[in-house]
Amino acid sequence: MSHSDEHAEILKQLPLSAAGSLDADDEARIARHAAICPDCANELERWQLVAAGLRRLATPQPSLALFERTRTMVVEQLAAKAEQRQNRIALTFLVLFSWAVTLVSWPVFRLATDGLLSIFDIRFRQMWLLFAIFSGLAWLTGGSAALLVSMRRQHERRLEL
Amino acid sequence: MEIEAAVSQLRRGDLDALSPLIARYQNRLYRYLLRLVRQPAEAEDLFQQTWLRVAEKIRSYDPARNFDAWLFTLARNLAFDHLRRIRPQSLAQPVGEESKDGGLVSQLASSSVGPFDQLLAHERATRLAGAIENLPMIYREVLSLRFEEEMKLEEIAIVLAAPLSTVKSRLRRSLEQLRGMLDAYGTGVRE
Repeated sequence: MSHSDEHAEILKQLPLSAAGSLDADDEARIARHAAICPDCANELERWQLVAAGLRRLATPQPSLALFERTRTMVVEQLAAKAEQRQNRIALTFLVLFSWAVTLVSWPVFRLATDGLLSIFDIRFRQMWLLFAIFSGLAWLTGGSAALLVSMRRQHERRLEL
Repeated sequence: MEIEAAVSQLRRGDLDALSPLIARYQNRLYRYLLRLVRQPAEAEDLFQQTWLRVAEKIRSYDPARNFDAWLFTLARNLAFDHLRRIRPQSLAQPVGEESKDGGLVSQLASSSVGPFDQLLAHERATRLAGAIENLPMIYREVLSLRFEEEMKLEEIAIVLAAPLSTVKSRLRRSLEQLRGMLDAYGTGVRE
């Protein structure tokens, strides 16, 4: 590599040298070159001044309350999210429970009222209509209960704050 | 408390471990966020969001990795999302106007001793801070991570999710642009 090529290459690397971001070999090469090239030595010194200025920039201080505000916010948000998770689980459980009650109770209901149903001669379509009403009521009950529990909890949390 | 111990404690779900972690990183993280968004109120809001994200995602953090890089990556992602929503142009272009309160300018310190030296140093620091504030966001970021957070290029590459070569060229360009601005101010590094 000719001197001018090396000079151009070194000049390009000087900012990174001042930033302390070159490996030892590159640093050594720059030091060797700077020892015989006053222009590069001068230029390196200027870059080092810029770097020194950057390192001396003062740290801006956050407001004094930020620490406590952050801690409190994180704890509250996590609690709220945990509660939402619990509510979802509770709602899912209630829905599944409603379905289970519906499915289990229907044969029981049929057995218990077999005579009555035969009197009224309930056909297949009517049977499914009854089943739908029965399921709907179970869903509605479960959903309403979950909603009420959730609202109650939220109300309690608001009172706590 | 050591960082590793606090992180382990937090991973076990003990929120008491948050306090030492927030205390340890509060100045650095706030400074980094302020360099990105330049507005103290926004930086504080992002600071809070970052710690909420830390508490939520801590179980996915690999303790073998560098916690600083992980933390700053979370903060960066939140800041970029925020800027993309609020000021998308700031992600690509330099901003011409300085913040109304002088931004970082008023908070620069001097390491000189005498009053006259302090005045000169303050003036230079003011111009340096002003020049930094006028750099594009991606340049402010890389300068902050290298010179203020003192991260190695490899760590910066993790935070930026960019190749090492990109980090190097971005750092060099940011310094070149900064020096160009200082020279244009007529002070820079020649005095």
